[in-house]
Amino acid sequence: MTQHELAIRGLAILGLLAAAAPAAAQQQQIGAPPEAANMRLVGTSDLQARSAYQPTIHRQGDRWIAYVGHHGGTDAVPDPVNPMTGKAEHNGTSIVDVTDPAHPKYLHHIPGQAGKYEGGGAQMVRVCDGKSLPPTTSGGADANAVYMLRTFGSEAHEIWNTADPANPVLVTRLGGLKDTHKSWWECDTGIAYLVSGAPDWRVRRMTQIYDLSDPAHPRKIRDFGLPGQEPGATGTVPTELHGPISTGPAGNRVYFGYGTNKGGMLQIVDREKLLKGPPAPTPDNLRAPEIARLEMAGWNGAHTTFPMLQMPIAQFAHDKDGSKRDIVMIVDEAILNECSEARQMVWFADVSTEKRPMMVSSYTADETAGNFCQRGGRFGSHSSNESMDPVFYKKMAFIAFFNAGVRALDIRDPYHPKEVGHFIPAITDKTDKRCVTVDGRERCKVAIQTNNVETDARGYIYIVDRANTGLHILELTGEARQAAGLP
Amino acid sequence: MLTRRTLVQALLVAALVVGLAGFSTFAHWYKAWMDEWGPGWHATAWPFLRDGFPPGRAWRNGDVTVYVRPKLGFCANCDTGVVDDSEVDQVTDVDLLDDRFTPVGAGERIRITDLFGRVRLYNIATRDGTRTAWGIAVNYKCDLVVALVVGKLDDPAVAKEAHAFLESNTVQVWLNKALEGR
Repeated sequence: MTQHELAIRGLAILGLLAAAAPAAAQQQQIGAPPEAANMRLVGTSDLQARSAYQPTIHRQGDRWIAYVGHHGGTDAVPDPVNPMTGKAEHNGTSIVDVTDPAHPKYLHHIPGQAGKYEGGGAQMVRVCDGKSLPPTTSGGADANAVYMLRTFGSEAHEIWNTADPANPVLVTRLGGLKDTHKSWWECDTGIAYLVSGAPDWRVRRMTQIYDLSDPAHPRKIRDFGLPGQEPGATGTVPTELHGPISTGPAGNRVYFGYGTNKGGMLQIVDREKLLKGPPAPTPDNLRAPEIARLEMAGWNGAHTTFPMLQMPIAQFAHDKDGSKRDIVMIVDEAILNECSEARQMVWFADVSTEKRPMMVSSYTADETAGNFCQRGGRFGSHSSNESMDPVFYKKMAFIAFFNAGVRALDIRDPYHPKEVGHFIPAITDKTDKRCVTVDGRERCKVAIQTNNVETDARGYIYIVDRANTGLHILELTGEARQAAGLP
Repeated sequence: MLTRRTLVQALLVAALVVGLAGFSTFAHWYKAWMDEWGPGWHATAWPFLRDGFPPGRAWRNGDVTVYVRPKLGFCANCDTGVVDDSEVDQVTDVDLLDDRFTPVGAGERIRITDLFGRVRLYNIATRDGTRTAWGIAVNYKCDLVVALVVGKLDDPAVAKEAHAFLESNTVQVWLNKALEGR
């Protein structure tokens, strides 16, 4: 081989290495620092290395408590050991004292339904104080109690009294279901929209509406869903529910999100007609409270439908009409690993003219900035924070984006949402792998899978990981902190 | 000036060329006809509009048509798969044939190669009148494979042949490729 040939071959090898380097450099490594912009890590809890779904942060007196719902265990560890009891427990609900966010203290684990991944656990959590619930003829709620509503796998909804969060007590169980999912509970009225699978309905997920003012004595109001989903219907089965968000009696609207990553739809419903209309699940009765629908493209879903009504838009401030807009932020859920589906992202719908809702903008994390499709696991949106506390409401939105961590959006102009920060936690030895089949063989990668995000009134941001990396408590810095108006 | 001999030769050559061209055209047409209408299974265009899932594949054999596509990440329960008829109604694409489809009785368990699920018989309205169709859904871990079979499924021979085709290399090789990356 001549020197000339050697030089050419050397250059070719260097070229190949250079081409491969960016992708390799993006793969997360244990021990590497988190990736962050305008967001800072304050504290962590490993949540006993349980796959986490939804965190809810609740102020209890002088304490701040995080309730975290979990999926079922993994093939490798179906029932992780709870170090506090020394026993293997089905994944359920973690209760963590986050009063000092730099030093979260794990208080208790309530086991959930047996089963792995989506087939077990206790994924969803909502919390109301007994003193906030209205009185009832049956005696009403215990004013000293704190009530945690959670799903019990696919089987049931449960209410626990967590006034002493280290020693929760079961109050009520609503069972006999074929599935559950992300419910909504109005703490000032007690009305709960429980995402359930009533056995005789044609979909796994519809809405069972209960008055839970007295959690020990639930009162059923009605079943609700889309015409065609009800018992006895024939023909096309409409897309199943993911979850609702209510604006309560003041807003008199419930925003239902159907579909997760396919056939998405926002349904706007008149709350009063929903609660007071005839309860029999006939097509006419199901249609009666509906105000409008916004159907999305077939390859996007509506996982979270977060209302932000009467938003003042600076750009429209001098317009005689329409200077404030009713906005619903719709978040799709990515389902498949390594971008094996259409991009799931965030959409902003202007619903000011309710009968004619319209998408006005969208947001996705920049895939090319992190080679996220090659990192492993899911890339795409999953959910947003759902707290309506003034600290962030209508100013900032936080989006869980799986292997792209959490993304902080300045949404003060929802027609032009702008990413102002992000945080991708470091992986640990507990982070679970995510696999795909290539050429008939399984190929696995380890990456953060930020599943859900929530905020508290102090301005902390809580993200939890589907791949067992735990809870990360964050705060904003720099431009993002300024956008939120925080000192 | 051309001699008679040369003229005859030229005519013979021309006739040969025309004959060969005609034969070639006929052979081409015959192959296309056989591909489309001859005995056995033949690929045909996926006739449905784009929706949330990528298009599948369709095959026809005489009066029987089979439609197959994977639906990745769609299975409700990765362990148990499709276990009730309402889920078969929901996932099998039967509404693409007729959104007012009506089931003919309860469904039953089915096995396609090493995948298990449910099959249900439906009446569907078509331009040619009411026909019967199978809706089939089987799962592979958290993914579904759904199939429709439209034809005279009350004839056991037709039903058996359609089932065998779903298990054939023609379908399975394509399906395995489509399930790559999962």
